[in-house]
Amino acid sequence: MIKGKGISKGIGFGKIFILEKRDRKIQKKNVENTEDELKKFKEALNEEEKEIEEIIQQSSIKEKEIMNAYLMILKDPTLIIETENLIKNFKYNAEYATEEGFNKIVEMFNKINDDYMSERAKDIIDIKNKIIDKIFGEDNFNLKKLPQNTILVAKELTTSETAKLDFENVSGIITEIGGVNSHTAIMARTHSLPFVTEIHNIFEVFNNGQYVGLNGKTGEIYINPSKEEENKLLNIQKLIEEENDELKEYKDKDTKTKDGFKVELVANIGIPSDIEKVIESTAEGIGLFRSEFLYMNSEKMPTEEQQFLAYKEVAEKMQGKPVIIRTLDVGGDKEIKYLNLPKETNPFLGYRAIRLCLDNIEMFKIQIRAILKASAYGNISIMIPMISSIEELRKTKKLVEECKKELEEKNIKFKEDIKLGIMIEIPSTAIMAEKFAKECDFFSIGTNDLIQYTVAVERGNEKIANLYSQYHPAVIKLIKMAIDGAHKEGIFCGMCGEVASDSKMIPLLIGMGLDEFSMNSNKILQTRKLIGNLDKKQCEKLIEKVENLESSSDIIKELKNFFE
Amino acid sequence: MKTKKVILKNESGLHARPASEIAKIASKYQSTINLIVNGKTINAKSILNIMSAGIKFSSEIEIQCNGEDEKSALLELETAFENNFGE
Repeated sequence: MIKGKGISKGIGFGKIFILEKRDRKIQKKNVENTEDELKKFKEALNEEEKEIEEIIQQSSIKEKEIMNAYLMILKDPTLIIETENLIKNFKYNAEYATEEGFNKIVEMFNKINDDYMSERAKDIIDIKNKIIDKIFGEDNFNLKKLPQNTILVAKELTTSETAKLDFENVSGIITEIGGVNSHTAIMARTHSLPFVTEIHNIFEVFNNGQYVGLNGKTGEIYINPSKEEENKLLNIQKLIEEENDELKEYKDKDTKTKDGFKVELVANIGIPSDIEKVIESTAEGIGLFRSEFLYMNSEKMPTEEQQFLAYKEVAEKMQGKPVIIRTLDVGGDKEIKYLNLPKETNPFLGYRAIRLCLDNIEMFKIQIRAILKASAYGNISIMIPMISSIEELRKTKKLVEECKKELEEKNIKFKEDIKLGIMIEIPSTAIMAEKFAKECDFFSIGTNDLIQYTVAVERGNEKIANLYSQYHPAVIKLIKMAIDGAHKEGIFCGMCGEVASDSKMIPLLIGMGLDEFSMNSNKILQTRKLIGNLDKKQCEKLIEKVENLESSSDIIKELKNFFE
Repeated sequence: MKTKKVILKNESGLHARPASEIAKIASKYQSTINLIVNGKTINAKSILNIMSAGIKFSSEIEIQCNGEDEKSALLELETAFENNFGE
């Protein structure tokens, strides 16, 4: 058995197909008939152009931008003329001329000492390789047509490769490099395709045609599995299928407890294309739309129009269901080039999120206006991250009013009663929740940061990871203060951190009367099922028990006990 | 041939977005369109050529259009420069 990291659950069996960038030998030849070579080159260009255009049609806004830039490079006369001249004047064969012609441009780009230009140089190399593949007529691997039950093995799968994948016939993916949040992983999860990554020296581990079974949850891979191993996997597969079938019954249902307490079950998203999964999961709205994606991976500040279009797309697709857009939440630890943020020794306690926005009012207003404009197309609310003092909330509200006025003057429509809420993720705000509730429309508890700030443990630090716990009595107390504070003033309180989908915590949260649970869309159905089996009155009793406990470990025990 | 001198107002120079704007506009026209900067001739229809020229803020650029539709090509490019590519 080989063990990697499972990043898309499911069981798969099949034959290995190794997707290896083969070493092609590009030979320099002198040809008689240059017309033929020119034709080969032109056809390869056209084919590639068509493929990219197809991908563009299916992609999200961000991907579109990337692929459009790709397309422009591909159509660029400098590249084409350079290569054509090598064929015409030197009578080179098409593949060699492409290699040489493109490399000249790459060199030109590499000479300019600029990160951005060297990235473009990589794009040109990528395009060059694809064109040469096409000229060779092998297209390296035809991802669109794979034999049935293929287990794809690759060093890394790019987004464009995944976009082309023949999902019908692929029964699993194994790679050496791949992140949980990579596009490839997200698409695999959408298609319920098992995906295992972090297999080192992958080409030495697997051979073409080998029969393997894999478990995309545990990351286990069996080469030529024994009868016993195969049965083990088949049993898990059966369980997963049964579970999925059972969960399907919870589609399009209300989310309420046995005794009729109704909550809103909504999804977190990071990019507009996540919407497909949200709709599929039958989530009742978007509880957290992270707007960072617009700002990251971009060379410059997104314009008001770009932001407006992205927000509008999501609002329209949700067809009147609530969509909560969180304003820019970045800072010291997440780098955005054009913001030129200084490196800080303590980024989590530093210049970030609302602090940064209130210091860059023009930038912030662009985002607020974009959200307001989009609010004419759906049920949008604004949510402010990292609020630690009431002044920040007041300043933000003033800016929103200013933006509304600006739009009114230009006769631009927006939702006049758009709701403005805050994230409760800093202990000071949880403690003062009652006061905040008087001045805003809703809360959403961001547990990841709330825990980190309450127990003073950095999330990513492995040495102290055991101290980071959502079951810490202080964390639970703060959550309760936030919910009670909201309810005292009659506003609604949601939660968008990971705790919202933690099955042990859900009964406690239901007991506290949390109004909205926001999570990744793949957790929606199982959470709806779980809540459907709870009894609110019993959950309320749980609060008292937990409140009397002193330690995380005692609380975990008590919460586990609840289900028995 | 029609020519016109303009000054680049874009502070970050002729980077990807403005470069692609120019190439997009120039490609719509039949005319041969070149940009002359510091004595170098750049094919305005090529985003790669424009970007790799590394044209800096406040450089003087001569737009040269030559062909049937040279007049309208020049006008559209000139306007794009004047509007600083909508930035």
